[in-house]
Amino acid sequence: MSALAAYPLTALRWIGAGARRQLRFTLMLVGAGWGVVRDGVRPNSWRRTVRMEYRNALRDAAGGGFLSTLVVAALVGFGIVAQTVYWLSVLGMQATTDSLLATVLVREIAPVLVGVILLGRNGMLALTEIGLLTLGGQMRAFEAEGVDPFLFFVVPRALATTVASFTLGILFSVVSLSVGYIVCWVEAIVTQPIWAFLYDVVGALRPIDYAGVPLKFLLTGFFVSLSSTLTGMDVTRDDDMARLMPRGFVRGMMVLMVINVALTVAMS
Amino acid sequence: MRRMTTPRDVPVLELREARPALESEGLLSSAYDLRLMPGECALIRSRDTVRAGLFADLCTGMVGLRDGSVRCQGLDWATMDERERWALRGRIGRVSQVGSWVDLFGTHFNILTPVLHHTRIPTEQLIAEATELAVRFGLPGLPVQAPGRLSPLDLRRAALVRAFLGEPALLILEDPVEVDMTDLLTPFLGMLTQARDQGAAVLWITRSAALWGGYRDAATSRYRLIDEGLFPMRGA
Repeated sequence: MSALAAYPLTALRWIGAGARRQLRFTLMLVGAGWGVVRDGVRPNSWRRTVRMEYRNALRDAAGGGFLSTLVVAALVGFGIVAQTVYWLSVLGMQATTDSLLATVLVREIAPVLVGVILLGRNGMLALTEIGLLTLGGQMRAFEAEGVDPFLFFVVPRALATTVASFTLGILFSVVSLSVGYIVCWVEAIVTQPIWAFLYDVVGALRPIDYAGVPLKFLLTGFFVSLSSTLTGMDVTRDDDMARLMPRGFVRGMMVLMVINVALTVAMS
Repeated sequence: MRRMTTPRDVPVLELREARPALESEGLLSSAYDLRLMPGECALIRSRDTVRAGLFADLCTGMVGLRDGSVRCQGLDWATMDERERWALRGRIGRVSQVGSWVDLFGTHFNILTPVLHHTRIPTEQLIAEATELAVRFGLPGLPVQAPGRLSPLDLRRAALVRAFLGEPALLILEDPVEVDMTDLLTPFLGMLTQARDQGAAVLWITRSAALWGGYRDAATSRYRLIDEGLFPMRGA
C-alpha cells in the first residue's frame, strides 16, 4: 500500500524537478526581480557602499552608453525615418507617416536597440566582472565581511540600468526622429518645421503608449541587467568565461525579446 | 563594526558540538568545541589551508550545521535571519587566504568596504583611521592602487589594516604573518595585544606553530585542527 501510494508522489516529484530545471533561470529572475524591488525601497539598503556602486553603475550605463546611443539613433534616423518618410511620400501615403513612425520606431525599435546597447556595453561587462569574482572566490569573501553580494552588486546595477535605459530610450527616440527629419528636410521631402513633425509623431501615440513605452524602457534595462548579473553569480566550478559569455548573451537577448513582445501584445 | 559591545561574561565565539554539514568540501563532520571569551586568544595550527578557511567559515556562520551550534557574541548563527547574520559578520575582522581582494576597486576601497558598509562613521574619519593603521603596519599611507599591483608583503599589511579597522569584536586571522616578515611581526603583535585589551577575541590560525614565536605563551589556548577535528595541543 505504501509503495503504491508513493508512486504518484514520486512521479510528481520527477515532473516538478524537470519543470524546475527548465524554468530555473526564469524563476531566479522573477525572485531576484522581487528582491531588487524589496531592497530598493528599504532605506536601510542604501548604505554608502551601495550608493557608490549605484553612482558608478549609472555613470557607466547612462554616460558610457550616451555616445553609442547617439550614433545608433542617428543611423536609424537616417536609415529608417528618412526612408519611411521618403517612400510614403512617393506612394502618396504621407498621412500614415506619423502613426507608422510612432508604432515602429518609438514603440518597437527604440526599446530593443537600447536594450541591445545596454546588454553589450554594460550587461556583458557586469557578467564578466561578477563571473570572475564568483569564480575567484571574492564573492564568498564579501559574504565573510558581512557584505551581501546581492545588495552590493545586483541591486544598484539593476536600478541604475533601469534609469539609464529610460534616459537613453527617450534620447534615442528624439535623436532618431530629428535626424530623419533633417535628412528629409535637406532633400525637401518635408517642409513643415521640426516641432510640427515631432508633435505629429507624439500625437500619433495612443494613450496606452504613454505608459507602455516608458514601461518597455524601464523593464528592458531592469531585466537585462538582472539577467547579466545573475548569470555571473550563478556559476559553478565547471564553468569558465568561454561558456559564461555566450550563455549570458543568449539569456540577455531572450529576456529583451520576451519583454518587448509581451508588452507589445499587452498594449495592442 | 565599531565599539565592542560583547559583555565580559558572554563568549565572543562559542562552538558547541558543532558538526558541519559539508563533509565533501574538506571539513569533516566531526564535533567542534571552542569557547573564546572577550580578550582571549586561541592559536590553531592547521597544515591544510583549505581546512583552515572552512573552519573560519564555520565560525562565521557560513557553513551549515548537521548538529550542535555556533554562537557569536551570544547569538546563534542558525537562528538569526539573513540581515542579522550580515550585520554580525560585520563585527568580525578577518584575514583570509582565498579571494580577499577585488581588483575592480582600489586597495583603499577594499580595505574600507566593510566599515563603510556596516557603520555610519564619517568617511573622512574612517580614512584617517585606516591611514594611521596602514602607517603603523609599515605602509607609506593608505594604498590606492589595485590590489594586484601591490607586493605580497604590502598586500599582507593591507589585509591586517582591513582586519583591525573598526575595532572588531572577533578577529579570525588565517596566516596573518610569515616567518620572513620580521618587519611586520612587531606591529602585528602590538595591534593584537591592543585589540585583546579592548575586548576583542582572537582566533589565530597558522600552518606552522613556529609562526606564533614568543606569542604562544600570551595566548589563552592552543589547538591542532586535523581531519578528526579540533584538539588541544599538549601543554596548552
